[in-house]
Amino acid sequence: MAPEAKLSHTAAIILQALDAGFVYGFSIMEMTGLPSGTVYPAMRRLERDGLIRSQWERQSIADAEQRPARKYYKLTLAGKTTLQASRKRYPLLERLIPSEEAKSV
Amino acid sequence: MTPKSQWAFRLFHLALLRGASLLVPARQRAEWLREWDAELWHVQRACAPSRCITWAAEREVTAFCLGAFQDAGSLARHWRQRDMPGPALRGSPAQCILLLAALLAASYVMAHLLPGVRAERSLSPRHVSPGLVLIQYEYSDDGAPATISPGQYRAWKGRKQQYFDGFAFYRVTEESVGQGAVSAGAHEKAGWRVARASSNLFALLGLPVQFAVPDLKDDGNMLGVILSEDAWKRDFGANPHVVGSVIRVGSQDARIVGVAPEDSWGLPGNVGAWLLQPDSEIASGGAGYVVGRLTSAGKAAMWAQCVRITAYGPGYSEDDLLGFSIETWRPGSWGIYQFAILLALLSLPAITSVSLGDYSVCSHKHSWSRQLCRWSFLSAKISLLLPIVYFASLDLAYGHSGFAPARAMYIQLICSFSLCLFGFRWVLQDQRQRCPVCLRTVTNPAEVGQPSRTFLAWNGTELMCTGGHTLLHVPALPTSWFSTQRWLYLDPSWEFLFAGSGTGMESEAISGFSSP
Repeated sequence: MAPEAKLSHTAAIILQALDAGFVYGFSIMEMTGLPSGTVYPAMRRLERDGLIRSQWERQSIADAEQRPARKYYKLTLAGKTTLQASRKRYPLLERLIPSEEAKSV
Repeated sequence: MTPKSQWAFRLFHLALLRGASLLVPARQRAEWLREWDAELWHVQRACAPSRCITWAAEREVTAFCLGAFQDAGSLARHWRQRDMPGPALRGSPAQCILLLAALLAASYVMAHLLPGVRAERSLSPRHVSPGLVLIQYEYSDDGAPATISPGQYRAWKGRKQQYFDGFAFYRVTEESVGQGAVSAGAHEKAGWRVARASSNLFALLGLPVQFAVPDLKDDGNMLGVILSEDAWKRDFGANPHVVGSVIRVGSQDARIVGVAPEDSWGLPGNVGAWLLQPDSEIASGGAGYVVGRLTSAGKAAMWAQCVRITAYGPGYSEDDLLGFSIETWRPGSWGIYQFAILLALLSLPAITSVSLGDYSVCSHKHSWSRQLCRWSFLSAKISLLLPIVYFASLDLAYGHSGFAPARAMYIQLICSFSLCLFGFRWVLQDQRQRCPVCLRTVTNPAEVGQPSRTFLAWNGTELMCTGGHTLLHVPALPTSWFSTQRWLYLDPSWEFLFAGSGTGMESEAISGFSSP
């Protein structure tokens, strides 16, 4: 199955947000405006499909900042490939959430 | 907002998350809750950065927490689908084999639990030993009278015989029978017809004895008596524990050593009990019947179920006797079952086609392993079906103790035949509707074409393999150019349509379509 055929618009937005540096659930919610009931289940599906992977923040960092440790998400290689394909399918994706490279330029 | 209500909201949000976490599978719950707790902390800070809690902020936080239910629900659904093998098993060969195995186990357990079936299986095959004849005088009247004296029996038995290697004797008498030993003051009952028999009678005839206890037969101090099933039910209430107890037969005490099954006795004399006596005790008395077992020379001399015998008595007198075969063969449950299978196989072409479709004539060639897999699956289904039929027919025929043996025999024959016939039909139809590549049942039938255009275009039903390997075309009306079902093999370019169906079987590399 072609990668772009499986990806919904919501999933593409979440991938784009992750690529843009929004690496945990609440920041993606804030960036995309999607509710928590949409963002978290979508991220679980993306993780199951191997497009993103999660990692817990080190406890020492969280303790130093006196807050609970967070779970961060990151695009995998397959996720990046899928995102490239999705950008072709949804041309406005990059304009909606500019990637870090685009912002730095 | 007061601090109290702030705390109340916090508790409420935590309770929402804890409640939602109950939907999450236990193995993932702790990590899931940890992530949502951490996110909640940040959401609360983000919604009220200056620690000034407002209703609007609490509403936002609450909406965030309610989203946890959707997340937990989606996780629960995913794990439920993953844990339950239903969708993956549906239509698969494994499901079919498991179903048949479950049916076999159920019918087998039933056969072991039902007392009638247990008794029948322990008695099968129900027939007397081969080569047995009932010896009578040649010119005796009809009605199988008792003609042989105990003296003749003893004389024959003590002499080396050319035609016989064993004799047994019995004489039918009227006896008073009482429950309990004579010494215990047994209450006498009305006369029974009792066969006073040589102790080897049942062994020679090969007749089954129910509830027999071997140790009791060897009790040399007391005679043994075998009850008929009728007498056992009538006078002893069909109590199996009566075996081993002592009854009075005539003037003698005898220990009950077993019960002869109904209809097992096919010799003259309808008796209620057989009193087994040593030869010395049956030397006197009236005439009786003698059963002889033929040697191979005796069997060779048999003609029309009869053997002519000349016996030399005292003073070199010659007696002309006839030995009538008593080998009344009765088909046991196993024999009936085999006969039913034969009948079903002969009848099968009348109700379904015995062809497996166009596996053999299609242009696509399968690997040897794939063909072996298909034939193994067919063999496994038949191998499971046959014992299911056997045990299920026994359950139906002998499960109800009220059926007479002859009736139960016919019920078993009908059940075995019907189950075999329709079972074989199902096996073939099921095999025809399984994808030749992955052996899953084809699904999603779709009507193609119009019946009115049968002679202009193809018209029938199209079914699809959920693994994306094949399409099955079944003509609605067999024609000379499309008489049987045909498989259309799909090449790998179709796989994207079926992705996620998870058949677990690799599709074979097929270049292009095979033309129907």
